[in-house]
Amino acid sequence: MSDSDDHDEDHEYQSFEFESDYEDEYFDNQSENSSSSTRSHNERVSPSKTSTSFNEWTLPKFILTVFLDKYQKLKDSKLGGCTDDDLLILLHYKRWQADEVINDFFDNPKKLFEQAGLPVPPQKSANHLKSTTSFDCSVCCESYKQVMVYELSCSHRYCLFCYHHYIYNELSTGKLIHCIQPDCALTIPHGDIDKIFDIVEHDSSIIKITKPLNENRLLVASAKIFVDSQSTYKWCPAPDCKGFTELVSSATFDEATLDYKDISIIPIVRCAESHEFCFSCNYENHLPCPCWVVKKWIKKCQDDSETINWIDANTSACPNCLSSIEKNGGCNHMTCKKCHHEFCWVCLGNWSEHNNSYYKCNKFEQDMSEIEMKKSKSRLTLQRYLHFYKRFTIHESSMQGDLKVLKQINNVAVMYLESRRKDSSVTSLAWSDIQFLPDAIRALSNGRKTLKWTYCFAYYLMDSNFQEIFESNQDYLNRTVEDLSEIFEKITTTSTKGDSDIVKLIMKNKTKIINLSNTISLRQKTLIDGAYHNLKEGLMKFDA
Amino acid sequence: MSLKRINKELTDLGRDPPSSCSAGPVGDDLYHWQASIMGPPDSPYAGGVFFLSIHFPTDYPFKPPKIAFTTKIYHPNINSNGNICLDILKDQWSPALTISKVLLSICSLLTDANPDDPLVPEIAHIYKQDRSKYEATAKEWTKKYAI
Repeated sequence: MSDSDDHDEDHEYQSFEFESDYEDEYFDNQSENSSSSTRSHNERVSPSKTSTSFNEWTLPKFILTVFLDKYQKLKDSKLGGCTDDDLLILLHYKRWQADEVINDFFDNPKKLFEQAGLPVPPQKSANHLKSTTSFDCSVCCESYKQVMVYELSCSHRYCLFCYHHYIYNELSTGKLIHCIQPDCALTIPHGDIDKIFDIVEHDSSIIKITKPLNENRLLVASAKIFVDSQSTYKWCPAPDCKGFTELVSSATFDEATLDYKDISIIPIVRCAESHEFCFSCNYENHLPCPCWVVKKWIKKCQDDSETINWIDANTSACPNCLSSIEKNGGCNHMTCKKCHHEFCWVCLGNWSEHNNSYYKCNKFEQDMSEIEMKKSKSRLTLQRYLHFYKRFTIHESSMQGDLKVLKQINNVAVMYLESRRKDSSVTSLAWSDIQFLPDAIRALSNGRKTLKWTYCFAYYLMDSNFQEIFESNQDYLNRTVEDLSEIFEKITTTSTKGDSDIVKLIMKNKTKIINLSNTISLRQKTLIDGAYHNLKEGLMKFDA
Repeated sequence: MSLKRINKELTDLGRDPPSSCSAGPVGDDLYHWQASIMGPPDSPYAGGVFFLSIHFPTDYPFKPPKIAFTTKIYHPNINSNGNICLDILKDQWSPALTISKVLLSICSLLTDANPDDPLVPEIAHIYKQDRSKYEATAKEWTKKYAI
């Protein structure tokens, strides 16, 4: 599951799952969420017998569950003389091992305090931010008439701007931050960090924006480092998504010995924002393709596609030797540099026949069969690749178009509802009435994703009759996806009277949208299950 | 902000110059300095004068200055490019440190090398196994390059 280094943390987290007796609603929510996410995940896209289970996380939720629960526990155990700030520092110092804090505290409190950078003897919470007059800051060398300064109990004073800059740089380590003075080990409390940022960034000392502790800048930085360092956690690869996912269990998944046939072991997980991705290759949900096919395809596309597109658009093959020729000027009488064959650029006909009076270059009906026959196998492979590649990219770009339209529709609906809500006399529309919209959005984008990857899948598939079935499933899914996409597009393009019109159209099409969404999910599942079954039985094979 | 601070350090160096080292800008660019340090008398580098280049990042003093020896030196924590492996130039940097303090730390690094965290493992190995051989080579290099 993880390296030995990670073991402590893993164990720490796992223990959470079982100590659910705590009266902690966060934790209860968490365990509910995780089990439900696993369940619904299994039902949705993966082949029926998947063994992947996972937890969806966001940073604030993670901090609450993994860090702050210990903090609560420690608060309850009432360590003498410790303030809340001290406890948080001690826990952070001990890498959130509450037991270690308690043990070391009773063992040698003085040593523990010194190590964690807390003043000995312990001091009461004090305000470390002060406003002062005529102050020379030794870091920035400015002389201030009036300025906010920060000092811990060590009385090393620096201006707030320097502290802000200093902490900003230090945050990236996720570790406790100490007084600027090089030989001073005192630690800055977590809360002070947010205070300093709020004052400096909002340019006011009166403003009081108290972030909840689970959004504390240092805790967030620390959690990020923690997630980065754990092999059981991965950030969602979707652009701008801040979610991450913890893999709880999956089939033994070794890339080297990866079973070419069994796509049920691919650990498809979901993030807190409902993006599905593959935990193994950290790519979006690429079912029905196995990871190795995905890697191969992506590499091929990166290597070839640009070149091939260019060649396809700008060159013609010499009708005799089939080498690619770019015409960069001059007349249509071409002479191949390689085989010295002379031909017409427009009709690719032999030049010697070209000037005869009966031969017309612009005649449409050409005997293409000869040229077709001559087309080499490599040219055909290229065309085959282009066929799949074009469809693959078309779905990718359509998906982006879809998302734009859908975002607009969703925003309009939400805003409209909100405005209606304020007007309490109107109760015709409720939140639950538009819940189907996000579901439809998800179904559509997931459907397109699967569709997209079926072209990669088909490219590497060996010819067989089962391919027919696969292709017809693909076609079904394609049509449903396009139908739903069309409905949404029509809603935005035909409504001219503004938002309320859009909402009316949405509600009018509600049943249609719901039905189509369900059909998409169903056909998507059929497609993937079919692929899974046929691969497993050896009815379909990859051309590796 | 960084210019003000660099200027301050420059005046402080002029007002109260350290005995074993000197530092100042190269030409007009205040962000690029040259420094020299004398080999500490109780080290094999005694008698030599070593030159260093100092580049200040734009967000100095919040990021450490980039300091490298320009004179060749035989030392387990300094490599052939003159790069120095010193904690205060990396993660132990503090905005309250100054060039003068850093140069003093480099001087003490010359006296007391840190062979357990070497930049040049070969030299560190000789330093640990055969101290007299290390000192002889260091003296030889000092004579050759630093006098």
